[in-house]
Amino acid sequence: MKLVKILLMTMLVTVIGFESQAQEKLTGQQIIENVYYRETGNDATSDLTMTLINSRGSERVREIKQFSKDYGKEEKSIMFFLSPADVRNTSFMNWSYDQAGRDDDQWIYLPALKKVKRISSDSKSDYFMGSDFTYDDLGDRHPSEDTHKLLREEKLNGEDCYVVESIPKEKGYMYSRTVTWVIKDKWIGMKKEFYDEDGDHLKTLSVEKYDKIDGYWVILHSEMHNVQKDHRTIMNLKNVQINIGIDDGMFTERMMKRGL
Amino acid sequence: MVTKLIKTTLMFIMMTPMIGAQDLFLSGYARTYLGALTTGESDYSIIQNTFDLNFEHSRGDVYFKVNPFLYHYSDDELELGFRQAYMDLYFDSFDIRIGKQQIVWGKGDGVFITDIVSPKDMREFLLPEFSEIRVGVTSLKFNYYSGNSTFELVWIPVFTPTQMPDENSIWSIKPNYPLPYSIDYSNSDVKNKLSNSEIFAKYSLLSSEIDFEIMAGYSWDDDPTFHSEKILNPANGIVDSVILKPEHHRLATLGGSFSTTIGPVVLRGEGAYYNGKHFQSTNPKYSDGTEEKDYIHYLLGIDYSIGDLKLSTQFIQQAILDYNDYLLNDEFENTMTFLASMDFLRETLNVELFSYIGLDNGDALVRPKVTYDFIDGFQIQLGANLFFGDEGQFGRFDKNDMIYTKIKYSF
Repeated sequence: MKLVKILLMTMLVTVIGFESQAQEKLTGQQIIENVYYRETGNDATSDLTMTLINSRGSERVREIKQFSKDYGKEEKSIMFFLSPADVRNTSFMNWSYDQAGRDDDQWIYLPALKKVKRISSDSKSDYFMGSDFTYDDLGDRHPSEDTHKLLREEKLNGEDCYVVESIPKEKGYMYSRTVTWVIKDKWIGMKKEFYDEDGDHLKTLSVEKYDKIDGYWVILHSEMHNVQKDHRTIMNLKNVQINIGIDDGMFTERMMKRGL
Repeated sequence: MVTKLIKTTLMFIMMTPMIGAQDLFLSGYARTYLGALTTGESDYSIIQNTFDLNFEHSRGDVYFKVNPFLYHYSDDELELGFRQAYMDLYFDSFDIRIGKQQIVWGKGDGVFITDIVSPKDMREFLLPEFSEIRVGVTSLKFNYYSGNSTFELVWIPVFTPTQMPDENSIWSIKPNYPLPYSIDYSNSDVKNKLSNSEIFAKYSLLSSEIDFEIMAGYSWDDDPTFHSEKILNPANGIVDSVILKPEHHRLATLGGSFSTTIGPVVLRGEGAYYNGKHFQSTNPKYSDGTEEKDYIHYLLGIDYSIGDLKLSTQFIQQAILDYNDYLLNDEFENTMTFLASMDFLRETLNVELFSYIGLDNGDALVRPKVTYDFIDGFQIQLGANLFFGDEGQFGRFDKNDMIYTKIKYSF
């Protein structure tokens, strides 16, 4: 009888606990953490096509095959550049860590030099392959690097969203603030506005297509528009496969040199 | 030989459509390279057209690559060859590569310390692209992998020396002899026999904290030593000329390199100890004018960025051990390299300055260049090779200042 009482008490406490968490209004910090830590599977592979469009409308296309694997506190990823022809067989490997403040480890293999070179990951404000995305924009920026504030809740493209403002703690960072529209039940940043150091609107990221693949939400098509220079970069993801059991050997110097 | 190469290349090109269905991958580039000396003291100029092809094919765990090249010069001279032609066999934890291949070791940039497996093509000094300076060697390479460690073993059955410039080339280095000399090449070849093989081994680790390599080699010195034979004048018994006999010697090497990140800076180092190197000497104890000495060669370098500007610098030192004053080489040779590079226009325009600076003779090679990607895969480059100083490894080419342009189409 005593055991039944204890079990009932435990169930009640558990139910009350869930209800109070659901009713509790999330903070900006929690929302951005939910986006950052959104489940993406243990490993994934996809084909990325990046189209760079300048103000005159001329296009340059970069094609990449990418693999990533989550090791808990560490995530490893490798990219193989397929085109244009002069960067073919170049590969880039990144090991990132959950630990706040710990820099990523990065290497690049340049086929002309036939050498894997360690590079510094300090320049996260660098633009990735001439695109409108910086390394930070691509998801590397840890939530602890900004102060987040929930501004409001509103509908965008038929989705209920949280609108969160993020202000960098680091002085002199390339953005003075960003504003993100986060889809409530999916934890996808559907739209993000970037403001430069002077507070002027610099870029807008728009997610055009997302889908649930193998049980995980994946952004399939997005566009970054630099409104000041009228540049655009379109990211298109195809052949997405999740939890296929990518071998640890994929994230090694051997594969960087060998390529696909 | 040339005809045979042309036939082989044509055969590959003709075979492409046939094998195409089976995923033969063809890539490469066509390049026009125009260069002119700026000193006005020589009519030397470069008009070179290059055609470089890569044929690749894989089936399961077997892969092959053939990389023929063709240089066409203004006088209609053709130069053909295979930069690489090899086959890979992939297994779970090891790979085997057999054939002509370029092998690159070490963490240094533009310096050859542990990077001594593939010999160099020095016919145009250090000016060509590194993929063109390194000569492929026919070899067997075995790589064993365990986690992030790699053990590599290379066996080179046939020795290939450094390719030196012709005697009439502006890049040729004349032996520094006060007496008239002639050159006898009879000892310069290393015979093709098993006991004359070269062997290299390397262990490397790539890890979060540090990347490093440890290597050893039992090889031939790629550069020959000029032994001298004095010729006496029968009339007066005085030495009035010498015969120089270039000869390659066995060289044992032990070295290593590392690369690590300290905050925003990448710190690199590389060093090697060479046993069996021969140097020219005036020591009367050695009648052939050479003396065997061990020496060390090392560098320390850093890579860092200031905003979008990427910078890299290296300090390099060569030191002859157990030095004596009879040796013609200096005991120490100190060099620095400096690289500054910046991208503009969404990485379509690159401005770069690379320089070697000889600290002992105050000489330098400064190489500014601007590269613009007109469209993807179509590149225009303008650059200059400027030599400063009167002596030293760069100053000796002071009259070879050059401006050039390269137009390259990659496919």
